[in-house]
Amino acid sequence: MNKTYSVVGKNILKLDSIEKATGTATFTCDMKLPNMLCGRVLRSPYPHARIISIDTSKAEALPGVKAVATYKNTSRVLFNTSATATFTIPPLVPVVDQYIFDSVVRYVGDEVAAVAAISKKIADEALKLIEVEYEILEPVYDPLEAMKESAPILHHSTESKNVPGEKIHMEMGDIEKGFAEADRIFEHTFKVPVQKQAQLETQGAVAKIGVDGSITVWCTTQTPHPTKRILGTIFNIPYSKVRVLNPPYIGGGFGVRIGLSAKAEPIAVALALLAKQPVKVVYDRKEDFIASDTRHGGYVTVKTGVKNDGTFTARKLEGILNGGAYCSWSTEAPGVLGAMGLSLYYCPNQMYDGHSVYTNTTPAGAMRGFGNPQAMFAIDSQMDIIAEELGLDPLEIRRKNIMRPGKPWVLPYPCLSSGLEECMDKGAAAIDWGRRGKLNTGDSKKRRGIGMGIGTHVSNAWPFCGDYSNAYVTVQQDGSIHLATGIPDMGTGSTTALKQMVAEILGVDFDKVKIAYADTESTPFEIGSHASRTCYASGTAVVAAANEAREKVLDFAAKTLNTPKEDLDIQDNIIFSQPNPKISIGLDETALKAHDQGHQFIGVGSIIPQNAPPYLAQFAEVEVDIETGKVKVIKLVGANDVGKAINPLVVEGQLEGGLAMGIGYALMEEMKYDSKGKQLNTSFEKYVLPTSMDITELQTIIVEANDPSGPFGAKGVGETGLVATAPAIANAVYDAIGIRFFEIPLTEERVFKEIKKSGIK
Amino acid sequence: MVLKQYVLAKSMDDVFECFKKYSGEARIVAGGTDLVLDLESGKVECNCLIDITEIDELKKIELIDENVIIGAAVTHNEVNKSDLVKKIAPVLSQACGTVGSLQIRNVATVVGNVVNGQPAADAAVALMALGAQAEVRGLNCTKIIPLEDMYAGVGKTNIDCVNEIVTSVKFPALKDNHGSSFERFAQREALALPMLNIAVVLSLKEDRTVEWARIVMAPVGPRPIRAKNAEKILTGNVISSELIEMAAEEAVKDANPRDSALRGTAEYRKEVLQVLVRRALEGAVASIS
Amino acid sequence: MEKNILKFKLNGEDMELLVTPDETLLDVLRDKLNLTGTKKGCGKGECGACTVIINGNAMNSCIIPAMKAMNKEVQTIEGIGTAGKLHPIQETFIEEGAIQCGFCTPGMIMSSKALLDKNLSPTREEVKEAISGNICRCTGYVKIEQAVLSAANRMKGKNQVGEGE
Repeated sequence: MNKTYSVVGKNILKLDSIEKATGTATFTCDMKLPNMLCGRVLRSPYPHARIISIDTSKAEALPGVKAVATYKNTSRVLFNTSATATFTIPPLVPVVDQYIFDSVVRYVGDEVAAVAAISKKIADEALKLIEVEYEILEPVYDPLEAMKESAPILHHSTESKNVPGEKIHMEMGDIEKGFAEADRIFEHTFKVPVQKQAQLETQGAVAKIGVDGSITVWCTTQTPHPTKRILGTIFNIPYSKVRVLNPPYIGGGFGVRIGLSAKAEPIAVALALLAKQPVKVVYDRKEDFIASDTRHGGYVTVKTGVKNDGTFTARKLEGILNGGAYCSWSTEAPGVLGAMGLSLYYCPNQMYDGHSVYTNTTPAGAMRGFGNPQAMFAIDSQMDIIAEELGLDPLEIRRKNIMRPGKPWVLPYPCLSSGLEECMDKGAAAIDWGRRGKLNTGDSKKRRGIGMGIGTHVSNAWPFCGDYSNAYVTVQQDGSIHLATGIPDMGTGSTTALKQMVAEILGVDFDKVKIAYADTESTPFEIGSHASRTCYASGTAVVAAANEAREKVLDFAAKTLNTPKEDLDIQDNIIFSQPNPKISIGLDETALKAHDQGHQFIGVGSIIPQNAPPYLAQFAEVEVDIETGKVKVIKLVGANDVGKAINPLVVEGQLEGGLAMGIGYALMEEMKYDSKGKQLNTSFEKYVLPTSMDITELQTIIVEANDPSGPFGAKGVGETGLVATAPAIANAVYDAIGIRFFEIPLTEERVFKEIKKSGIK
Repeated sequence: MVLKQYVLAKSMDDVFECFKKYSGEARIVAGGTDLVLDLESGKVECNCLIDITEIDELKKIELIDENVIIGAAVTHNEVNKSDLVKKIAPVLSQACGTVGSLQIRNVATVVGNVVNGQPAADAAVALMALGAQAEVRGLNCTKIIPLEDMYAGVGKTNIDCVNEIVTSVKFPALKDNHGSSFERFAQREALALPMLNIAVVLSLKEDRTVEWARIVMAPVGPRPIRAKNAEKILTGNVISSELIEMAAEEAVKDANPRDSALRGTAEYRKEVLQVLVRRALEGAVASIS
Repeated sequence: MEKNILKFKLNGEDMELLVTPDETLLDVLRDKLNLTGTKKGCGKGECGACTVIINGNAMNSCIIPAMKAMNKEVQTIEGIGTAGKLHPIQETFIEEGAIQCGFCTPGMIMSSKALLDKNLSPTREEVKEAISGNICRCTGYVKIEQAVLSAANRMKGKNQVGEGE
């Protein structure tokens, strides 16, 4: 059922765009406060070492230096930089394994000390004057190595060697029976790289201490409320005296700051407490690359049992992820990998086992897709292997096995909507799927191919961790609307989308709605932006709040107009009786009348969301230069079931960005280390992400399956754009040159090596 | 050493006065895209920067007596967009259009690219294939040095940066029977250092015999490398695809790339080098209309 | 360290201020003049977030010594339009959804303006090349390129109207 709405579903222009286009948008790095100091961080040059001594006296003596912080004079409360530690669902216990500074360093770049000074120059000078003596400890870099008996211990684990938290296990049906029933069994292991968010604004925070010891922190966090809680806990200050806000804009996130922005906030606060002046800590680009969370790289193993007609009988999935030096999101990412991997296709007998492993590398945390892109490179590459072995069309074998609403799966919520088949058909048409296998004639050195991949995702973080949202709506005395929700604005357009929802429900013009957001002082608890949740989960709270306000408005109007409430509707700022529209009163007049009677219409939404699966299908056409190994994407089509596009232009933008990031994941991006544990990709020049010249044609198709549990039918969008890009491209490369890849990115050298081995000329 | 002064030189006299005043602690800056970063990181130190980009005589691209002269203040973008260069030295125009980004090309100078001494400097590779020479002025003398003789190691040239200034590069304009081509292989299409770059300039007689050829390859050694044996194979013989293939195979023998964790193993780059030299030779022949 | 008097035109206005030899143009814009619209994304000339226009050419202000601006005309994002009177490029960026997080936006708009000030009929390839030094992680560049092409048409239309009067 596709209703037409007045505001929802329209390409309403984002107000933040005007500020951003005129250079008047304030980001954390733009902030200036009176007496503000510059904070800079000293970082470990070693991957694993104990600090035997640290002498800061020379640094402290440097004129212009106001504070020097180390593990000796800062909080010794353990925490986890990620927000997950603030909403881990009992009986699970969050893994807290980080201090602001520790006396052991566990990766190159780990924080050792920090200085607050009157200028960046002086702060950097002071860092050079801090004398540290290290005892080198043995490092380990690969997760499989780190699990061995002989490996050094990074943190104690209750589960097994170097495994943070608990191992994840999921199952459904009878896996042994399932494999026994299979005609064919396929098992493959795939390797996935460490990818970096590389958002344009680096991690940053400005901290100010109030005269009553309260803390105010402007920062780049994607989740102001959870971050407030983390800081309150670290510094032992009542949460009510901690204020966290974005100023109001964030220059991108992609998961790098769900919770703290690496250590920017706690270091800024620690320095501000010591210096008794506001302190600004902004990571430079190198720090952002080496010392803020990455995506998890690792190994994914898929074992699938099928009948000869392609029907699945059993699927066993395994994920071993490189968690890096600290836990961050390492207990949740393997869970999402398994859950998304298993829930995409219907299979009566399924099992997943997965976990992360500590290594002496940059901590892995959350990055767009959160385990799902890793799962799908493996699963949908294998899908094409199976298809070829059985002589089936890759599109048709997928159609045969995709999950459909009403069928059972491993997730604790039902599948109530799916536009996946429509995505597959529309995407196939857009790429002209029939050309597959027929693109190369003669012996041209440039070979073309077409491939596909599909995927699903979530619309918030439950059940992987806690998820809930609050919002309130007030009708002002002039009939304009004020909305308060703690979500941030990092460019995803959700502040606009939520206003659209409120305007729709309260029947007012869009520009009558004002939103207070991203500030813990002026909004009720809200998880924030992650897990593609702001439209679905925050939206559900906003819808509930708007509906409650609407009910109160109509109650009052019914009395005023002496008309049954059920007859009333609000449109174009006017409350009117549907059977007799002449009986009407403006919302402004209603609100003022209420005010005169000592009353304001307030609606509160406090909800725990359900969850719902967005779906996607991607189709790629590639060209491979067999003489050099270079792979070029000619066209990439992404068809997405978003439930309902609250703002289609915004949705397209999110999907296009995701596709581009997916091209990077499939072909170019990889964080590498040298043999001494030092990161190699420490700048935009060295980290190969796509520029405008690397993106040729992207096409997005929006499908709306209208989920009954989502506000106006909406489901999650933000992370979906890159879930299936890697398998789509890898499968297209197979169509082009007949070579299967079990590792990404498909760099020129990687592809060339295999071409040479295969003898293709 | 602290940077004490930034001088905007108006003339060559200003430059030498500054050299004298700071006796050994003043350095030339043209575009500065490399130097500014080296100063920030402490890789380079000096007391004074002498900015030469406002000196009129250094801002010119000229054709004089069948030679193209490019002044030290001329930017990559000016060369890339110059109709003159497109016509009589297309390989240089092409090479200059591949460096960094448009923003960098608007500031970074072609001569600066050479003086910086990096082996894969695109403009330098093209200039060497064009047989370019540099004019180097000291206080009391002026030298003309072939580009090939300027290199003194990775990132180093023989220029005495605190007493001398390269004022221009000069090379013979290409004629109708001269062909040129530039091949660049990188991990992405912009903002990327090259994994390999090759410039070819050659001359064909009417009967399609190769009169001479210059094949320059980088980064396959501490400096751009002339594939002299490959050039010998071509010289005096009628051009053909077999000949080109032989030359490309020979060229690889002069290449000694290092293993780069970021930009590819030596083995891989040598394999691709052969393909790219072949393509560059084919391109150069094709460009002769 | 000696300070020099830097004289230049900034967004049409004559400026005169003291700068040190090691200050970059970006430092001067953001820290001395409080024009924070131009962003620092990397400090190495590798991302384009700091792009300004100097004498008609797009440049990375983070690696340009401030003194290089002497006697030149510098344009920043603050100078090309305001909320009340937007430049056509700002208009189309807003209308076509070419802005997400907004951090790359000022640099993108300046690179686009440098192109359109010289060429009002760019091909899509020329637009791609003009912004190839501006990294965007949010948009995939699609709507940005479309917005630049739309702005070109809008600016052309304005020119034609002017000629007809």
